[in-house]
Amino acid sequence: MEIEVNSGKLARALNVVSRVASSGKTTLPILNNVLIRVDSGKVTLTTTNLDMAVVDYLPVSDSKDGVITVPARLLAEFSSNLPKGKTVKVKTEGLKVTLESGKYRSTLNGVVADDFPELPEIDEVKMVRFKMSVDEFKNGVTEAMIASSNDMTRPALTGVFFSTIEGSLHAAATDGYRLAERKLIDRVESEVKVIVPASSLSEVMRSLSDEVEEIEILFDETQVRFRFGEIEITSKLIDGSYPDYRQIIPKEIEATIIVDKAELMRATKLAALFAREVGGTIVLEAKTATGTFSVASVANEFGENSSEIETEVTKDERMTLNSRFLIDAINALEEDKVRLEFPGKTLPIIVRNAKSDNYTHIIMPLKS
Amino acid sequence: MFDVFRNVLAEVQKETSEMAFKTWFKNVELSALDREAGVATIGVPNVFLVKTLETKYRGILMDAFRHNKIDLKQIDFVIKSNDGIKTKSREVRDEDGIRLGGGERVKSVRDLTEHLVAARPAAQTSTGLNSKYTLDSFIVGSSNELAAGVARLIVKNPGVGYNPFFLYGGPGLGKTHLVQAIGNAILENDPTKRVLYITTNHFYSEFINAVRANRGEQFIKKYQRLDVLIIDDFQMIIGKDRSQEEFFNIFNDLHQANKQIIITSDRLPEQIKTLDPRLSSRLRAGGAYDIQFPGFEDRCAILKAKAEFMGQEIEDAAIEYLAENIKTNIRELEGEFQKLMVTSEIKGMTPLELINEGYMSGAVVQRRRSVTPRTVVEKVAKYYDLTVVEMTGRSRVAIIKTARQVAMYLLSKELGMSTNKIAPEVGVKDHTTVMNGIRKIEKDSRSDAQLHDQVEQIREAIYG
Repeated sequence: MEIEVNSGKLARALNVVSRVASSGKTTLPILNNVLIRVDSGKVTLTTTNLDMAVVDYLPVSDSKDGVITVPARLLAEFSSNLPKGKTVKVKTEGLKVTLESGKYRSTLNGVVADDFPELPEIDEVKMVRFKMSVDEFKNGVTEAMIASSNDMTRPALTGVFFSTIEGSLHAAATDGYRLAERKLIDRVESEVKVIVPASSLSEVMRSLSDEVEEIEILFDETQVRFRFGEIEITSKLIDGSYPDYRQIIPKEIEATIIVDKAELMRATKLAALFAREVGGTIVLEAKTATGTFSVASVANEFGENSSEIETEVTKDERMTLNSRFLIDAINALEEDKVRLEFPGKTLPIIVRNAKSDNYTHIIMPLKS
Repeated sequence: MFDVFRNVLAEVQKETSEMAFKTWFKNVELSALDREAGVATIGVPNVFLVKTLETKYRGILMDAFRHNKIDLKQIDFVIKSNDGIKTKSREVRDEDGIRLGGGERVKSVRDLTEHLVAARPAAQTSTGLNSKYTLDSFIVGSSNELAAGVARLIVKNPGVGYNPFFLYGGPGLGKTHLVQAIGNAILENDPTKRVLYITTNHFYSEFINAVRANRGEQFIKKYQRLDVLIIDDFQMIIGKDRSQEEFFNIFNDLHQANKQIIITSDRLPEQIKTLDPRLSSRLRAGGAYDIQFPGFEDRCAILKAKAEFMGQEIEDAAIEYLAENIKTNIRELEGEFQKLMVTSEIKGMTPLELINEGYMSGAVVQRRRSVTPRTVVEKVAKYYDLTVVEMTGRSRVAIIKTARQVAMYLLSKELGMSTNKIAPEVGVKDHTTVMNGIRKIEKDSRSDAQLHDQVEQIREAIYG
């Protein structure tokens, strides 16, 4: 096997794939390696941790067919330390892999590719496909993923649930304390109901560069594939049923309050400072008598804090919640104004963008 | 039929490297087996494993089946549910009949709120059992295989045969784990069984409170209703005569009704002083089983299992180092393992690198080194409210004598000093006095819970 490739391009590709290599919990040594395959001029770099696999198509100036695996991290670090814009020649002699770029030369010990795990075959024709802009994907999925759980004893909640609701593709996540749902694509043709591991989505996020504009998402019953630019990330899906979360979203609202996002964030952070010792417990309160909305900490031995925000108040409301969850929710909003919806005592509060309805974030109240 | 698959896997394990086996066959199950058609369906936890199993391991599996007298024509691999993560958490009903734990199906806001309550840590329910203790996570070795075997028999047939099950052994060897696991397994088989795990101290205080509040009858009824009663740390019954009597009554009721009784203690019933001989003989009726400190191999196995369970990586050499150096009990072994893993993560070094750098996890060795004979003597004296001079003097007052002997005992056990070297430290002239002292404490602490506890507390004070 032999390839000639631009050092910058090689470094960038290896940077993406090497993260997945050796990220698994398993200690099978071959998984630390990247599989380099040249097949009729097409060069692919592949790594896997057996939960997901990354394939990067590498544009090369010259090549000879062949296949080998080498330690991914070492190769990534070697290539990222080479001067940019130079040509690198990667060549195998038996299991020795030589890398040459100008004056720099090194030899790595490769491992025969037969030991590399066979990745699942995917029949893309049978897969359900969606396409969307990278920006929209990044924002949308991040906004949902924020509420996912990392409690491995409830695997379904460690993922993000992609489903079609009323003809639109939605992403949702919940950890039992809060829930976030984001509409991703309006009016889609296909139906889907799958749970994608949040860890795989994070990897996709990290691998998205500014240069790509469109991402393609393909699902079958057991796998999901994300394709963007030269990169293809395939991940297993989480098997299991997702809670019927939509029923939790309160349908009737007692009162709606619109506040400035920056102001609400400042007030919440101030209250959170004083709430540290009480597990982040803060109180939101709307008073018709004074026409104010306030964010306050619960008084404790360190003192207390209360901030008022001017807004229109139609009904007295009071709600105790965890400040961290509220901060997360505010962070996920895109507009400058926040819409807080109170469905009534002991029911969760709904946090939304003031105008748009495409994002719903609900937070469970704390029992005070 | 599914036991066959265990043998098959064992066969496969022989043919593959340990790491490959762990990678490809972890959580792999036999889902179905049609002997006549010669078709086996194997459940695989993850789609990424299927292809490799099909291409690289199909032949090995076929051979392994053949060795177990099953000729296969075909092996199908299917993705099985549950993602390989055990989520068999059963549904537990609390007293109000609210669904806790288990189900992820959230039906309404109310359910989610209940869900939240359940989602809080400490999954303790009214059974007193902690679901983290399972039979699967109990590592069996020569030091405990008899006890573990009996435990499995009890799970199959509670109340029959091994009743009461009396389990004894030193602290931190897994008694609590084993008995809680029995409780959990019985509940898993039959969630309607009423299981209660309680420590002897808790039992005692519950009893006293019940008597004070004039609810003695309710107290007894609560216990009479049980199908399985698990009492931990039974040696604590010493000096609690009234609750002993009550326990005896409850014991008889349950036993006559063929309800399973499980008891742990750090010593045999007849070594528990002040225990009514009638009770002590009944406690042994189902046989007394001991758990001993595991040998080196077993200690390694325990650590490996722990690492695997936590999904952590640790080199075999590091495991051996820990197992070699920690010989007190499993709790400490696990504690040191934990510390080593955390330090390794913080410092970004592998466990073995850390050890090679002289870290010695949690500084067990360092700690040992830093303990001088002087510290031991001082701590013992302090514990008995004596000055070192008083203690190492010639007084024959009983308590001072005991203190002196405890000091001898600890110097010998903890610092491994010879009797000749111990003598001057505790102010005695010859090593035979020391020898006798050590023997006395050794012997007495086995039957005298108070003394036993004193020694343990001092030991803790020394290292604390």
